[in-house]
Amino acid sequence: MFILGFHFPADMGNKIADEKVVEKLDAADIDVSGVNEIKMVMEEHGQVQELSYTNKDTFMFKALTHYIQTAETKYLIYTNRYQIAELSKRLDSDDETMALCKKFDSMAHFTVIAA
Amino acid sequence: MAALRQIAFYGKGGIGKSTTSQNTLASMSHYFDKNIMIVGCDPKADSTRLILHEKAQNTILQLAAEMGTVEDLELEDALKPGAGIFAPEAPGGWINCTESGGPEPGVGCAGRGVITAINFLEEEGAYEEEGLDFVSYDVLGDVVCGGFAMPIREGKAQEIYIVMSGEMMAMYAANNISKGILKYANTGGVRLAGLICNARMTDFEYDLACALAEDLGTHMIHFVPRNNIVQRAEIRRMTVVEYSPKSDQALEYKELARKIILNDYKIIPTPLEMDDLEELIMKFGLDLEADEDNIGKGEAEA
Repeated sequence: MFILGFHFPADMGNKIADEKVVEKLDAADIDVSGVNEIKMVMEEHGQVQELSYTNKDTFMFKALTHYIQTAETKYLIYTNRYQIAELSKRLDSDDETMALCKKFDSMAHFTVIAA
Repeated sequence: MAALRQIAFYGKGGIGKSTTSQNTLASMSHYFDKNIMIVGCDPKADSTRLILHEKAQNTILQLAAEMGTVEDLELEDALKPGAGIFAPEAPGGWINCTESGGPEPGVGCAGRGVITAINFLEEEGAYEEEGLDFVSYDVLGDVVCGGFAMPIREGKAQEIYIVMSGEMMAMYAANNISKGILKYANTGGVRLAGLICNARMTDFEYDLACALAEDLGTHMIHFVPRNNIVQRAEIRRMTVVEYSPKSDQALEYKELARKIILNDYKIIPTPLEMDDLEELIMKFGLDLEADEDNIGKGEAEA
């Protein structure tokens, strides 16, 4: 199984507990202290929207920071994005994050950078 | 040296198997230095054109017909080295290509071509080539025809990736292919290694693909978004990986390639009954239009 790009061995089955993903993320030793804002550009049907996300106390923030710090480009891979939203809906609860999850569920193209 | 892995891409006709498989295999070769032999098992012989930069390769059946019999055929006539970055002399991995071919439309059994091709390749030692890491079969349809089940039935393909989308018929075909895998899992050792969602960008597509994967006992290994760059590359008879290696879409195929190389989740699937499949689709709200009262009514009327 692959979640957020992390490999989970076959003996863990095809239903990976959320805390196992969080463990992997924690083990990746991502430093969010220097990141105060995640800027995104969402593009769908020719419409471009700039987004800002600042809630540092969430799984969403940590997962996006991890992605930004490990990815080759600003482009946000669709599978990772859907998985981040899926997990965030269970692990986070604030309105700002839920609104972003809804945007992530779309077919839009996203780029992300840390600010 | 790592053991040779034999994988296969199955899926409904027109789902984008050949495009997905060639781009993924191109990524495995180009980014991860894997050496690959592609065995196209589709009568239209389009499983290798993007790697070869050609319209369509001469198939084993065509060549055998020209020579008289398949016994007169030499391996180098039927197995061609990839072009450009996939050539043996280019840096990184290499890709060799062959196509089984098939009879004229409406004549004979297309599955026979697959059987003939695999037997020929085995007899000629194609599977023993030095440095070969992967053999990949690109197979048409939904394995109702026994000929197309040959790579599974004979234990050739060990790990099957089903290319599907969130559309009903693609999911139906994925389920049917799983039934084929289940049938031969105990005798040949074949396993389902994952679903690849080649997105049509339909409603709830990611969720549907994941739900189907979970019910089959497997995982949705990667969601490949739709992107026009794939068509632009195809016009030049190239994979996206070669046409635009730093593009977003190339990055998607690279990630899928990385996952396939690392993948150890290979299972005997648990196919669904037709009613369960329909229920799955309904669960995601795609049946909103299918209320009994709305049957036969247009959008404005319903």
